[in-house]
Amino acid sequence: MLANILVTTLVNGAAYAMLAVGFSLIFGVGRIINLAHTAYYMLAGYSIFTLVRVAGLAYVPAMALSILLVTVVAVLCYKLLIDPMREHETTVLIITIALALVFQELMLKYFGGHFRSVPGVAEGSLSILGVQVTRQQAITCAVLAVILAAVWLLLHRTRFGLAVRATAQDMEAANLMGMDVSRIATLTAAVSAALSAAAGALVAPLNILEPHMWLNPLTIILAIIVLGGMGSIKGSIYGAAIIALSESLVIFLIPQGSFLKGAFSLLIMIIVLLIRPEGLFGVALEGER
Amino acid sequence: MLEVKNLTVCYDTAMLLNEVSLKVNRGELVGLVGPNGAGKTTLMRAISGLVLWERQMKRGTRAGNITLTGEVYFQGQRIDGLPPHRIARMGLVLCPERRRPFSELSVEENLKAGAYRVRGRRAYRDTLELVYQMFPVLQKRARQVSATLSGGEQQMLALGRALMTRPVLLCIDEPSTGLSPLIKGELFAKIGEINRSGITMLLVEQDVRQTLAMAGRSYILSHSKIVAQGKKDELMADETIRQSYLGL
Amino acid sequence: MIRVWLLRLYRDFKGDILALPGRTLACLAVLALFIAPLFIRDTYILRIITLTAVYAVFAASWDLLSGYVGQLNLGHALFFGVAAYTSAMLNLHLGLPPVLTIPLGALAAVMAGLVVGIPCLRLKGQYLSLATLAFPIILKGLVYLFKEYTGGELGISGISRLAGSRLVECYIALALGAVLCFLIWKITDSNLGLIFHAIREDEITARASGINTTAYKLLAFCLSGLFAGIAGGFFAHYMRLAGPFTLDVLLSFQAIIWTIFGGITTIYGSVAGVIILFPLMEILRAFPEIRMLLFAAVIVIVLRFMPEGVVPWFLDRVEKECPRCKERNAFTRTRCRVCRVSLSEREVRARTTTRA
Repeated sequence: MLANILVTTLVNGAAYAMLAVGFSLIFGVGRIINLAHTAYYMLAGYSIFTLVRVAGLAYVPAMALSILLVTVVAVLCYKLLIDPMREHETTVLIITIALALVFQELMLKYFGGHFRSVPGVAEGSLSILGVQVTRQQAITCAVLAVILAAVWLLLHRTRFGLAVRATAQDMEAANLMGMDVSRIATLTAAVSAALSAAAGALVAPLNILEPHMWLNPLTIILAIIVLGGMGSIKGSIYGAAIIALSESLVIFLIPQGSFLKGAFSLLIMIIVLLIRPEGLFGVALEGER
Repeated sequence: MLEVKNLTVCYDTAMLLNEVSLKVNRGELVGLVGPNGAGKTTLMRAISGLVLWERQMKRGTRAGNITLTGEVYFQGQRIDGLPPHRIARMGLVLCPERRRPFSELSVEENLKAGAYRVRGRRAYRDTLELVYQMFPVLQKRARQVSATLSGGEQQMLALGRALMTRPVLLCIDEPSTGLSPLIKGELFAKIGEINRSGITMLLVEQDVRQTLAMAGRSYILSHSKIVAQGKKDELMADETIRQSYLGL
Repeated sequence: MIRVWLLRLYRDFKGDILALPGRTLACLAVLALFIAPLFIRDTYILRIITLTAVYAVFAASWDLLSGYVGQLNLGHALFFGVAAYTSAMLNLHLGLPPVLTIPLGALAAVMAGLVVGIPCLRLKGQYLSLATLAFPIILKGLVYLFKEYTGGELGISGISRLAGSRLVECYIALALGAVLCFLIWKITDSNLGLIFHAIREDEITARASGINTTAYKLLAFCLSGLFAGIAGGFFAHYMRLAGPFTLDVLLSFQAIIWTIFGGITTIYGSVAGVIILFPLMEILRAFPEIRMLLFAAVIVIVLRFMPEGVVPWFLDRVEKECPRCKERNAFTRTRCRVCRVSLSEREVRARTTTRA
């Protein structure tokens, strides 16, 4: 039981963290609340499904190709639909919801509403420190952790990362330092979408695919972002861990009440917000832009 | 080095700059003074490309209805119409009003961000050394988040960050706002020092007395127009200018 | 006496409504909505008209809170759902008539406004919107948890009807919709609206000017809850059903979609958004396979080219603002109808140049 809770928390938490990090990246740089963020996650799942089940590709190349495809789609959406609207914050909100709905309906039309599944890379299970884990879970978790670490390095140890963080703080000042902010924003949109797609591609073998699968993770990552503090990578990871833990607790401790997992996580979020309005790791600064 | 010809800027139906022309030669420290709302900051933003960038960002709204006419030349090249990062890369750097540090980044990261276009570790190290020499307080606070600095320190940081870009022409917009007289004096001394080290400067200030004293030449901007220009003595000699624009 | 009064009414009508194409069109549209049911016997179309009126109030109440006060609420369905469930339960269990249950439901929604508003007072900007998103989802969890009272997935059905015939219900809805939307618009046009506007633009400055922003923000939550609640209670009685879909994330998003499509911070924009989009959604039922797809595509494409919404875009084309007195004028005029100043852009430019 405890082991199950732990494993589920780790796998879900890592996936949530990745989604949340991507979401807060593009929010930070572009001040864009991209509600279509988890739609990319769904698209990646379906893309893998098509490539593996229909085109007959192996899982790993299918995954790489899916991430690439989804990123290209996302960048196109960003350039054509979101970027020109950036000054209209609420319009961006609607456009991204509508985009997510468009993707959902397209998937519904081409794949139908049934649940689909994707084969994994590895069969069987292994035991780590006496805990039984399926190989697929172990691999997924490890890869997610590696990607998260890579993102952290990208943001904190590279020139591009510095530019991203500077742009997120003050776009005009970044501009004056010779940073091409619109290019940086586009690249950030690409990285953000790629993270979402990678999360989708990695957890696809563990989950079932269905066209509405974007809505639940969306509310969850919004809760995580608020919990962890907006624009804080560390916060996103801790927030994801908390939410994933509370979810698995609900699922395993009250199996008949597993429909409550979303409500329970959100309740935790609200309680945290009451105590710390800027989130666990947010910095309360009077910002000016 | 910098030549502005008949620059006119309108935001919607309000005209913020009206046929402004000015010139900055190599090595000079040129002052630009004038009352609040004269258009000093708009002029700086127009030269550095931020006005057009703002238009690009706000297209489709009323606030995006900005027109800019006239010409700006920097080192013989026409730069009006270029995006701000291109202008910055050419060596024309604006140290913006209200300092604008990257507030959640540490002091050192701020300086590193300033060196964004400086290639090579050596060049970066050398420039950093130079900036730390000029502003020792920044080295002391290197690891501190920049929002927690005092106003004076933040201004030093903004100057340091601008210097990290290795500018040819440095425009500084109202560096002394909100600083104590003591810090103000120190700051002006640093600005003079920077200028003597070979960086051409265009200084926008509210503190008229200091600016006129430091600057080789000064322009007076009022009601979106250049109303007078010249050396300190020439400007002070004219009774009307002295009383109505300089208040000295 | 009556003649003078009528004359004044006529003059106001001519001066304030006929003078502006936007207002004339709005009047015509409302008039058409009121006359149409007389000639329509089809209950399906009557139903669309009724629901349009209900949703118009719902969308306008969102605009009041999110557009004017700037408290971007992503969980507006909470108010709708709370009122719908409260009305339904009061009606079913206590047997109260709709005349009582709808106000009581709205009162419950006001309470919900307080429950959401108090914790959200500490939150700012995007944190607030994301936190508000959570409330209806939590409540939905509770609805599923207490199945025996709420009916779970199926909701509460079998509540009493509003009136004997669909036509009467339609007229009640239209009258209620018109009055409430007008009231909301009047609120935003009053001193209170000005305070709300100030809070949105700069809360700290507003507080510094002596406005108790806390109280006013709570008031905004309550007012918005009240109007959304009336819509919710009405909806429950009209559909004779209060189900979990009244708490759906997508219903919250609908209110946002309608308002932004029509034009945020205008009230009339949100009403126009509902009047355009809700029937459109029904027309699209002709293509059930791609209905949502078409709907979403229409929104994306329209907003891509009219980012401020349809109504402001349209008004910008048929009306222009006087540069001097800021009064709106029909596009056909060359001089302002109030201060007679020339409206031609070139002349305005020329004048500012000489003045400077």
